[in-house]
Amino acid sequence: MAEIKWPEKRRLIGTKVPRLDGPDKATGRARYSQDINRPGMLHALILRSPYAHCRIKSLDLSQAQKAPGVRAIVTVGQVNYTAGRKEGKPGWEFPVSVTDVGRELFYHGDEILAIAADTEEHARDALRLVKIEYEQLPFIVKEETALQKRLGPSTVPGKDASNVLAGGSRTEGDPDGAKKAAEVLVKGTYGVPVITHCCLETHGLVAEWESPKSLTIWCTTQAVPGTAGQLQGFLAGHGITCSVRCITHHMGGGYGSKFGPDIQGQLAAVLALVAKAPVKLFLDRDEEHLAAGNRPSATATVTIGGSRNGTISVFEAASYGTPGVGRAAGVNIGILPYVYEVRNVRISTDIVRLNHGAARAMRAPAHPQNCFITECAVDDFANAAGLDPMEVRLKNLPQNDPAAVTKIPTSFPALRNTIYTDEIRIAAELSQWKKKWHPPGKGPTKGPWKHGIGMALHTWGGAGRADNDVFVTISSDGSVLVQCSTQDLGTGERTVLAIVVAEALGLDPKDLTVVIGESQIGRSTGSGGSTTAPGTAPAALVAAINARDELFRKVAPKLGLKPDDLVLEPNKITDKASGKTFTWRQFCARLGVDTVRGQGNWIPGLSNLGVGGVQVAEVWVDTETGVVRLDKIVAVQDCGMVINKLACESQVAGGVIMGINLAMFEEMIVDEQTGRMVNPDFEFYKLGGMLDMPEIIVHMHDMPERGVIGIGEPPTISTAAAIGNAICNALGVRVPRTPFSPDRVLAALHARK
Amino acid sequence: MKNFTYYRPLSLEAAVALLDNRWGTTELLAGGTDLLDLQKEYIAQPDKVVSLTFIQDPVFTRIEVPQILPGTKPTVSIGAAVKIADIAEHAELKNLFPALTDAAAQVGGPQIRNMGTLGGNLCQRNRCWYFRDEHVLCLLKGGRRCFASDGENRYHAIFTKGHPCVIVHPSTLAPALIALGASVEVVGPSGKRTIELNKFFQAPTKPDQREHVLAPNEIVVRVLIPVEGLRNASYEVRHKQSYDWPLAQAAVAFRLSGGKATNVRIVLGHVAPIPHVATEAQKVVEGQTITRELAEQAGEAATVGAAPLSQNAYKVHLVKVAVKRALLLASGAQPDWAI
Ligand SMILES: Cc1cc2nc3c(=O)[nH]c(=O)nc-3n(C[C@H](O)[C@H](O)[C@H](O)COP(=O)(O)OP(=O)(O)OC[C@H]3O[C@@H](n4cnc5c(N)ncnc54)[C@H](O)[C@@H]3O)c2cc1C
Repeated sequence: MAEIKWPEKRRLIGTKVPRLDGPDKATGRARYSQDINRPGMLHALILRSPYAHCRIKSLDLSQAQKAPGVRAIVTVGQVNYTAGRKEGKPGWEFPVSVTDVGRELFYHGDEILAIAADTEEHARDALRLVKIEYEQLPFIVKEETALQKRLGPSTVPGKDASNVLAGGSRTEGDPDGAKKAAEVLVKGTYGVPVITHCCLETHGLVAEWESPKSLTIWCTTQAVPGTAGQLQGFLAGHGITCSVRCITHHMGGGYGSKFGPDIQGQLAAVLALVAKAPVKLFLDRDEEHLAAGNRPSATATVTIGGSRNGTISVFEAASYGTPGVGRAAGVNIGILPYVYEVRNVRISTDIVRLNHGAARAMRAPAHPQNCFITECAVDDFANAAGLDPMEVRLKNLPQNDPAAVTKIPTSFPALRNTIYTDEIRIAAELSQWKKKWHPPGKGPTKGPWKHGIGMALHTWGGAGRADNDVFVTISSDGSVLVQCSTQDLGTGERTVLAIVVAEALGLDPKDLTVVIGESQIGRSTGSGGSTTAPGTAPAALVAAINARDELFRKVAPKLGLKPDDLVLEPNKITDKASGKTFTWRQFCARLGVDTVRGQGNWIPGLSNLGVGGVQVAEVWVDTETGVVRLDKIVAVQDCGMVINKLACESQVAGGVIMGINLAMFEEMIVDEQTGRMVNPDFEFYKLGGMLDMPEIIVHMHDMPERGVIGIGEPPTISTAAAIGNAICNALGVRVPRTPFSPDRVLAALHARK
Repeated sequence: MKNFTYYRPLSLEAAVALLDNRWGTTELLAGGTDLLDLQKEYIAQPDKVVSLTFIQDPVFTRIEVPQILPGTKPTVSIGAAVKIADIAEHAELKNLFPALTDAAAQVGGPQIRNMGTLGGNLCQRNRCWYFRDEHVLCLLKGGRRCFASDGENRYHAIFTKGHPCVIVHPSTLAPALIALGASVEVVGPSGKRTIELNKFFQAPTKPDQREHVLAPNEIVVRVLIPVEGLRNASYEVRHKQSYDWPLAQAAVAFRLSGGKATNVRIVLGHVAPIPHVATEAQKVVEGQTITRELAEQAGEAATVGAAPLSQNAYKVHLVKVAVKRALLLASGAQPDWAI
């Protein structure tokens, strides 16, 4: 087989193609998991810990069991109780006195049990009839408190009670010597709080057993086969052998928080089994904030120094952050300082565990935090040196790696300096940086408003992965079916597959039928790390080419032609030998009752990894009220070969909007007296609305020669840092922590006076 | 939410008759933008919900602006069932009472303004996140302490002296209406009475008190605003530009004659358990020409008595700015803060 490459001349790839499911989504025809209703379906809800830390002293289900409409109750202790396998019984056949009494709960929102009833209202009423006696235990919900006490109450099961874990450290070169030698040295503290994913479609699923051996779930997940597999494994752990099918046709966002069935998936599957009826279980908004994942906070005290001409020679950061009861750090010491090349480095981080919900991966895990910590410090350094921060950025970019340049010229190390330099130039032009940048605090004013502009850089991987099967089926009526078990989180993945196959077969993407989001189709990997398009697009190309070749092999003999003489062009197949042409339909018609099927998996050479990205924010700040108005954000982004320019631009705009919310509005606030989150809602957990959004200018820096690279995560990384720098440029003082609310802006202004 | 019996009376009298004379067991339902949330969160658990939406009485449902003739003392009447959106968009009201219509136009978002009513706005419950959390037994739910006093209080009151519960009153229409000298007409078992709006609100401290002085079986029928030719304006400082609450608000009204301001009223929102009349600021402005300097002095004076909590000292500063800007707006100065 000839080596498969992306076509030299691309008719569709890189153009703007409206998403295939756009009309379905706009009209409401698209059915999300939450829209699924099954005959006889029950509604389930979860009872959660009201305390930040407690132990279940007693648990009485008798009243709840008798409540109207209640069909099944299953506890978390029971689904976790696998010791019963020895007796040949699943955990839920054991009494709660064995499985749950004595169980420790570690945060407000920690799951206790779930009840399935005929209506949601009945389920809610029944939850309130569960009688639990709690032993309240000490808790810590504030990082400062944990850092003072260090050895506080436990946040995880077991004996390890320490609240502060060493998250690692790294020293390179001679930071002390470099600090002494530095002509310019500045120190600052920068931080971002815990924020949550805020998926508009909350976590959950509908679970239905077709037979004791076969379970179907309609689950909102970013890992369709993975979720089915995890649930199957869970059931096997209780001695239940069955097949699990997962369906996710449309999805309202995951952002890293939806990689498995979670506890609600396990509870729903068991409730459906016990009640012998389909069960729907979706979280409410408050549960989403409390227990469905969050992005760890990060705070760092940074010392940055270098020469007066802007070369950074030393970067030190002592940092900490909290993943709640989780273990993942908010600061990734491996990628600090972020993006830039600095010779003398000292980094350390502490992981502060608190009694609130656990962190999960969230769109570019650790990157926005690391970017904020680094990029704010870089600007403060530039300001102290009296230099334009854009020039300082250009000066400290990592060089193109000479070894990579000769060995793998399309790799990121071979291109990083070129990519950033080009993107900074483009961003500078689009934002009129040269004209608009001014020394901090010295910009234009309008009444009490001051103007500011700021820049930040980011990077991400976005590699392709194997184990993504795509199937392309061509029928004699000329129709083409594209199948893959992968999921479309709202990213436009369905359309990516259509574009690639249509490009290869000379068709219009609209004419294809794309079926995705069904685990039984084949293998696919979870949508994490911006790997979906680079993992599936190559597979789609291979599948399409295999289908085409198979079509030629089958039809050519019937026409007395040789497969090798056939050339496929848009809507037309030509026989090189005779010059005869067929339309696509005419040609496919010769299949008769036959169909052809091409299969493809990811192969190397069509995708790549490693991207840059530059963002510039322009703001106005009301110096009397501390109110910040975002004027404009310019986002320049590469992702190798752009497949769908329209979807890419949307992804970047969406990433920017998410970054704006980190910068301006979001914060999980947990009360130290009660241990409860006080804003598990969208009222005081703030998200910007239309009126809060600036003009967003997106520029895709297309590099087709690099192959496909993921786009999902990078564009959200540097927005908050760029906004932070713009505010500093406006005011001449640093607002050290997000969200940049009026009180924080005023505090920074007043601290200067 | 807890099950309840739903009533749809066709007259105010019939509605009054359905109400209990103690708080908690019966609730009035207008637009439902507040009540339904309270019920879903189990903060309100009424046995009876009495809908007001089927009452057609024009006094209750309409805006009446009489002809304004020299020498008369006309009164504008706005029915309690009037939607906030209809107030915001009313041409004559915009002309007479920009303080009110500007405040109305900034309430929540379009959905809230299209459902929320004037009566509901004045009688809505406070937004304190401890009060709204069923699991926190605060003063207003029969507990022994106010959690906001020592807790998460960035959005709470700065005028806290004498207030064991440090909520802020949520209505942004109320400060404007008080500045305009409005009163409310209410109906109860023994007929109608009128209450000056600046006596309508109270700082609650226990479960059987609301944020206003109505009896549990009284209903707001309408709001009456005298047309006195006052210059008026409201200014709010907001973090988000939609679907959010202000951090601080100032509503002002005064008569401008011979370049001097008299009958000055300055009322602050979102800084105290009730709309806060800034008496000291009023004194600064009374009888004076409104200049930028005077407006600033008034802003300073408006903060007299402020005793901020651990996280909300910033509001003291916002009060100064809001008062200054509202005064300048009302005096007709070109706002230099508009961009
Ligand atoms: C996100 C958000 C932002 C908001 N921002 C603002 C803002 O900036 N400024 C502002 O002022 N408001 C704001 N609101 C509140 C909104 O204005 C109120 O929810 C609304 O006015 C309530 O009116 P309603 O008719 O829906 O009342 P309902 O929810 O029906 O009733 C509220 C309460 O008033 C009682 N009630 C209703 N009508 C009467 C009557 N005629 N007589 C006696 N009692 C009555 C009810 O029994 C109930 O206790 C906001 C709300 C939200 C959710």
